[in-house]
Amino acid sequence: MTSTSNVARSSGWRVQRLPTIDGRRRAIAYAIAFVLWLALVGGGLSLASFAVRDIVLRAISVTLGSSYGIQQTLTLAAPLLLTGLAVAVAMRIRVWNIGADGQFYMGAWAAAGVGLFLPEGPTWLMLTLMAIAAGLSGALWILIPAIGRAYLGISEIITTLLLTFVASFLVYYLASGPWRDPEVPTQAATARIIYELPALNDGAHLGIPISMLLVIGFGIFFNYSKWGYEITIAGANHDAAEYAGIPVRRRILQAMLISGMLAGLAGMIELTGVVYRLQGGMSNQYGALGIPIAAVASGSISGVAAAAGFFAILLNMGVSLQTQGLSVHSVLAITGLLLFLVAAAEAAARFSICRMSASLAKIPASGASI
Amino acid sequence: MMELLTGMLTTAVVAGAVLALAGTGELLSERVGVFNLGLEGLMSMGAVMAVIVVNAGHNTSTALLIVFGLGLLLGAMFAVATVVLRADQVLCGIALTFLGVGLAAWIGRSYSGQIVKAQFDVISIPILRDIPILGRALFEQTILVYLSYIILPVLVHCVLFNTRHGITVRSIGENPAAADASGIPVLRLRFCYVMLGSALATCAGSYLTLAFVPAWTEGLVAGRGWIALGLVTFANFMPLQVSLGAILFGTLSSFGFAAQANGWPIPSVVFSMLPYVGTVLFLFIRAIARRRGQKFWMVPAALGHPYFRDER
Repeated sequence: MTSTSNVARSSGWRVQRLPTIDGRRRAIAYAIAFVLWLALVGGGLSLASFAVRDIVLRAISVTLGSSYGIQQTLTLAAPLLLTGLAVAVAMRIRVWNIGADGQFYMGAWAAAGVGLFLPEGPTWLMLTLMAIAAGLSGALWILIPAIGRAYLGISEIITTLLLTFVASFLVYYLASGPWRDPEVPTQAATARIIYELPALNDGAHLGIPISMLLVIGFGIFFNYSKWGYEITIAGANHDAAEYAGIPVRRRILQAMLISGMLAGLAGMIELTGVVYRLQGGMSNQYGALGIPIAAVASGSISGVAAAAGFFAILLNMGVSLQTQGLSVHSVLAITGLLLFLVAAAEAAARFSICRMSASLAKIPASGASI
Repeated sequence: MMELLTGMLTTAVVAGAVLALAGTGELLSERVGVFNLGLEGLMSMGAVMAVIVVNAGHNTSTALLIVFGLGLLLGAMFAVATVVLRADQVLCGIALTFLGVGLAAWIGRSYSGQIVKAQFDVISIPILRDIPILGRALFEQTILVYLSYIILPVLVHCVLFNTRHGITVRSIGENPAAADASGIPVLRLRFCYVMLGSALATCAGSYLTLAFVPAWTEGLVAGRGWIALGLVTFANFMPLQVSLGAILFGTLSSFGFAAQANGWPIPSVVFSMLPYVGTVLFLFIRAIARRRGQKFWMVPAALGHPYFRDER
């Protein structure tokens, strides 16, 4: 394998593709993508006759200028940390869990079931039970796609996503039908769950440090355990890992189950920390946002924390700007654009244009390096 | 009973057409080795664009043409990233879905709930339409239905399997290095077919608003793009099987109709879930069947792999 390819062969200029990219090149490419993204979003908004400068200033002051705004951002970051981590764990072994929203719903569903129907108990015990139920339920929801992926070669991308629709229908049905709180006729939601995650100070809840600890814990676990190493190797090259004696299929299954468990836990934390009632639409696309978070972090677990923080700010801006006619959907579109540019930048960073010296350029470009 | 069967089959055909059209588009893309996960977004954009054009006073054909052009444009954007720059196809596809779904909801918000001013007319085929049960379901439909089920799949099948160009196209999806060595412009053809596939997907979206439902609402596409993706795998990447599979997948949507007509005491949520659960189930059945007879498993060998000249 040679490291260069000649595209523009006739002139002295050549486009080369580098076999690896260093951190500097990647940072520059990401920075260009980011600036391009800002320009495109700004341009798009001003075309739609929004006062971009006012919006941005207002958004920044609302999200980061007050302690309330910062708390809101942190509260949004808790589920994003977990769904981002969920996607990143699967991504480590080159598997895509793009249905984290489904596992999120099923986690919230299981936690709500425990909270509503089990006999009353001390809060700490019930919260623990809810967390276990949510994790198991999330893992169970991804079990079928995981078996399909690991043992039958069925694309987990399609199955995880399709099951998300099923989960959201199920939660919507329960919240507006059998589990509905009859005392609140205006809202299609279950009764308020009496167990709440303890508040830290005014506003922020315990789920935020828990999510953060989980991210750090998984980061350490992936970098320093044999299991994490095997996952990484299997992700880099399935065949080579198989040859080295790593049970790749089992690792895929395990990684996906952990991924589902984390997303389910995010559902429980959102339920007991923010919404308190099981209701349709409560996942708020946190699971989908886990994908760009994991992608921007490019599979690194510690990068997830930074990316989740960034997307929490973005989401909070989107929420706070709804009064200005910008909907949550524009946040989805803006996120999609960013994801697209980042993916393109990652690839583009590998290309370099260089000038060949005259003597080299004259060499007919046949032979080994076509 | 006859009435019910005709009704169910009609619902299946109408609901499946969008899958057939989007699936055919995806098939073109996957046959040249590019996994386009952006179907859902492309379909959303197509659906909303069709409403905008039609409600501005133009006719349905103009709308379809403009939607096709939009699809080519979005496809070109996707192809620049995945074919030229060789970016990760999965990430770019998901990004395209986010972008399309989000943008469609945003630009379509002022059209939400508005009645679509012009829709495709039903073309009734004489004699054939009088066949009991099948006749009304299959031969009293809009041009888009005939296009999705018969005209396009047959055309794609003939081109792929009976022409020299078809061999060229398939070879790019199987072994781009060998194709390249024999002088086939791999990247150029990949680019074109990704564009074409995306354009068909946006047209499938416009089918939703120009022939299927009377108004654009947010979330109208509702996962049909992902079902269509499953359909292509289910159909073994064969155009005629995509067409047949689309009716089968469409049938999943028609049970809700039957339940309503008969007053079955099953909560409607079960029927809402059925298309998604059914697609997963079909994928499993097909995969298990494949384990018995590996030779029928025809996934293009280079699917999902960007092509670099120096890495063969």
